Amino acid sequence: MSASLPSSSPEANPFAGNQSAVQRRETTVRWLLRLSTFFIVAVTVAIVMHILVKGLPITLRSEFPYVNVKFLTELPGTLHVIFDKQGNATETDVNGADEIKKQLGENFREEKTISYSGGGILGPIVGTALLVVVSVSVALFLGVCSAIYLSEYASKGKRVEMIRLAILNLAGVPSVVFGLFGLGAFVLSAPVLTDAPLERSLFSIPLGLTYLSFQGWDTCVLSGGFTLAFVILPVIITASEQCLQAVPHGFRETSMALGATRWQTIWRAVLPFATPGILTSSILGIARAAGETAPIMFTAALAFKDKLPWQKDLPPLPADAGLFAHWEQSVERFLGIFTESVQALPYHIYTLAARIPHNEYSERAQYGSVFVFLLLVASLAATSIWMRRRLRGKYKW
Amino acid sequence: MAWDMQKLIRSFFASNASVTIIVLLLIMVFLMREGAGFLGTYKHELEIYRKAGLELCDLVDRPLAQHQDLSSKLRRAVTTSIDPLIQSTRARRDAAFYIKREIEQSTTLPREALTQALEKTPALDPAKLDQLRRQVASETAAAAATAAISNLFSAEEVARLRREMSLLSPEVTEMPSFLTELSAAFRVMDKEAKQKYTQLIEASDLFEEAPDSLRAMLSELKEDVLFTKEAAMEYFTLEEGRQKLLKAAEVATDLKEKADLLAEAEASKTEEPNYQENLAPVLERREELQEHITQYADSITEALKTLPKTGDVPEATKLLAEVHEHMPLHVQAMRKSLTEIKEWQAEKPVSIITVVGAFFFGSAWLTNSSWQDFFGFVPLLAGSVVIALIAIVIATPLSVAAAIYTNQFASDREKEFIKPVIEFIQAIPSVVLGFIGISLLGDLIKDMSEIPWLSGLPGFPIQERLNMFNAGCLLALMAIPTMFSLAEDALNNVPQAYIDASDALGATKLQTVFRVIVPAALSGIAAAVLLGLGRVIGETMVVLLVAGNRIAIPDFGVGPGFIFQPAHTLTGIIAQELGEVSRGSAHWQALFMVGIVLFAISLLVNGCARAVVRRFETPKA
Repeated sequence: MSASLPSSSPEANPFAGNQSAVQRRETTVRWLLRLSTFFIVAVTVAIVMHILVKGLPITLRSEFPYVNVKFLTELPGTLHVIFDKQGNATETDVNGADEIKKQLGENFREEKTISYSGGGILGPIVGTALLVVVSVSVALFLGVCSAIYLSEYASKGKRVEMIRLAILNLAGVPSVVFGLFGLGAFVLSAPVLTDAPLERSLFSIPLGLTYLSFQGWDTCVLSGGFTLAFVILPVIITASEQCLQAVPHGFRETSMALGATRWQTIWRAVLPFATPGILTSSILGIARAAGETAPIMFTAALAFKDKLPWQKDLPPLPADAGLFAHWEQSVERFLGIFTESVQALPYHIYTLAARIPHNEYSERAQYGSVFVFLLLVASLAATSIWMRRRLRGKYKW
Repeated sequence: MAWDMQKLIRSFFASNASVTIIVLLLIMVFLMREGAGFLGTYKHELEIYRKAGLELCDLVDRPLAQHQDLSSKLRRAVTTSIDPLIQSTRARRDAAFYIKREIEQSTTLPREALTQALEKTPALDPAKLDQLRRQVASETAAAAATAAISNLFSAEEVARLRREMSLLSPEVTEMPSFLTELSAAFRVMDKEAKQKYTQLIEASDLFEEAPDSLRAMLSELKEDVLFTKEAAMEYFTLEEGRQKLLKAAEVATDLKEKADLLAEAEASKTEEPNYQENLAPVLERREELQEHITQYADSITEALKTLPKTGDVPEATKLLAEVHEHMPLHVQAMRKSLTEIKEWQAEKPVSIITVVGAFFFGSAWLTNSSWQDFFGFVPLLAGSVVIALIAIVIATPLSVAAAIYTNQFASDREKEFIKPVIEFIQAIPSVVLGFIGISLLGDLIKDMSEIPWLSGLPGFPIQERLNMFNAGCLLALMAIPTMFSLAEDALNNVPQAYIDASDALGATKLQTVFRVIVPAALSGIAAAVLLGLGRVIGETMVVLLVAGNRIAIPDFGVGPGFIFQPAHTLTGIIAQELGEVSRGSAHWQALFMVGIVLFAISLLVNGCARAVVRRFETPKA
């Protein structure tokens, strides 16, 4: 192992006698350091392997199409396990339970129900995706603009110092406090347009036909997404600023010298070179946003929901409805996606792990969800780490 | 115009950058908005608590709670004394019954079928019943023949057991004779053992019964005062609704609507209960209560005199010594309550300082109680701090060692491998780590604690799978990437000239590292530890899932093993309880207060980390 240090390492000399006490201590300490390093690595690998080993059999299948389609494409539901008198167990959902019981007739022995553990995890996957889309759009917009200001317009001064301090502190705020903030701000006091302001409204401004009422968005994708956006904002700002700083100064000077304005310089000579880096680091933001649970607990997530966000019940249109009515309803349906509360993968895992009794059936749902979740988040993070390494090699000025 | 445009663009970006400041301020504003009313609400609740007389009952009830702890210690002393005498007969009895249960369980299906068939009316065809009986018999016989039988029984006994067990059937109601014999032997043994310890058992019984009359009286008083309190709570709820109606009536434009609202408000008008009048009968019994307390104190002092000082087994001796030590304190506390009762006044106003003290130094966080809700902050803070310290104690050496190794000793190939892996830990979502704590680490630690040769370690074997140590380990893993990368940055920032100088003086690599590089980077490493601490204190999901969620101040009296106790945390309590409380209630506001404290802690930790870096910054070469 120490062959990498031939000049200083005593073993390199075959004629060297016994190691002196100093040398022995040196080797011991070095090995201690190495041991602690590889201990961390080993623990990480062990955790990932454990989830892999337990989760793979649930999500993969030995025959075509090799993945457990049901698990990935169905909504979660209550699992019914029906035992007959020969000790055979049949798993089914709530609708199938009566059918099987009727079939068994006399032979029916007992039925177990396990909440949340049946069906699949499509609902949580979709919910997490929606939350990530909203939060990353908001955070990327705000984050990149802030980074441009910090890096291109002002890099010194009282105001900038305050902003930097705020970013540092924002990064340290506990995620559950963000949850409280999201609850107080977005769920209970964000502005909406409404005809009849609620009693809890902070205040409402009459706007002719409607009111702009500060009564909040309720628990929905929008509230959760905005809350998550502020959780990842510091990460995005810091990463974007680093990418902008990495663009050589010569580019800006050249552009300015050619008579370009500051904005033209940023738009034409800085941003194009910084964008790949910014996007790469924002993937890490996505992973973070997808992984957070506490901020969405009170702002967006629901333990159980039997519909996807776009399957909202709308009143059926009359037969003679015009194109406009159809269009209007589609818009409503689309907007409805963001004003509905959703299931989210991390919250689903929390529910499975903490709220229902532990048994072999719930364990399957747990490891399946954890495996899919970890796979999603880890692949995002790995992509980001890998791309950053590649970009670093590519852009050398 | 063009210049104006540039200015506009600039201010657009500037305003975006200010969002972080605004968000930070908004967090404060919204936390305050929901939480600031807490002190007022809690003060009001405590006022009712006092005026209705609940406080008076608690003056007695609180010291009396120690009785339970002491009497359970005595009971344990009794069982541990008796145990060695009856252990072997009990083990034999239990093993035999265990075998019976196992065999019955493995033949559940045919047994159930037979039972159900027998219950049927009209009776089933005898031939069919016989067939079911035969099936039970054959399966039972097979199970009895193969059942594993512990070596507590001699070969003859094993044979007898198997023979008797093979005859088990749902139709036979009487116990197999061997089992009856074993039970009888145990009863004889138990009786003999108890006779040997008559004095101890009598003292223990005496102690256990001592507070009965006091308890009975106290529960009568409690019923009375609780009635007053509930009446008061109802009054305030109705009053709140009435105020709302009156407000609505004020703004109503329609005359009829206005009249309706006013009428409704009038209808819901109720009287606040007369606290003094309600409390009077309770206060009248004050002296009676004092008498009961004195009686109780005297009787347990008597019981203590007859209680033996030592037992025959070390465990019992230890427990008895504890009882002998704590009992006088308990008596003292009870006698102290006498004067407290005498001095207690229902009209004494609750000062705001008391309320602040009750929150920040209160030792009970008790919610949804039928008696009185308390929002004491200390148990949560204690849990959070202990878990964070465990995490930091584990994470600091590991991550600093890893940073030193990676930065100074590792080959490039090792670096390529170590850095991404540690970076990857950051991407593991906290809920996944919490799940690992529940499903893997909890059992791992518990199993390890039951290994005999490790039983010397403090706290082993542990009681709870989910505890502070488990949570601390996982949080350490979460803190490692932050601490590792910051510490490595700090090592990287040490000027090359320092290293060159050290080399030139003939220092070995290790000397350079530990006497030059690490000291120079110490401020950065300290900041890394502080930021790791901030991250750990603020973590929610891991502690919510893994810390055990028992709201109590850890019992530090048991030595270092206290880290294996379950606890609740500042972050966990918010996540667990906020979803279930109604907005604006004292509980809701209390949770936001906890949020305010957490926010303050995070700002403080961040500030400290920056101060450390600035104070000890090494000059750049």
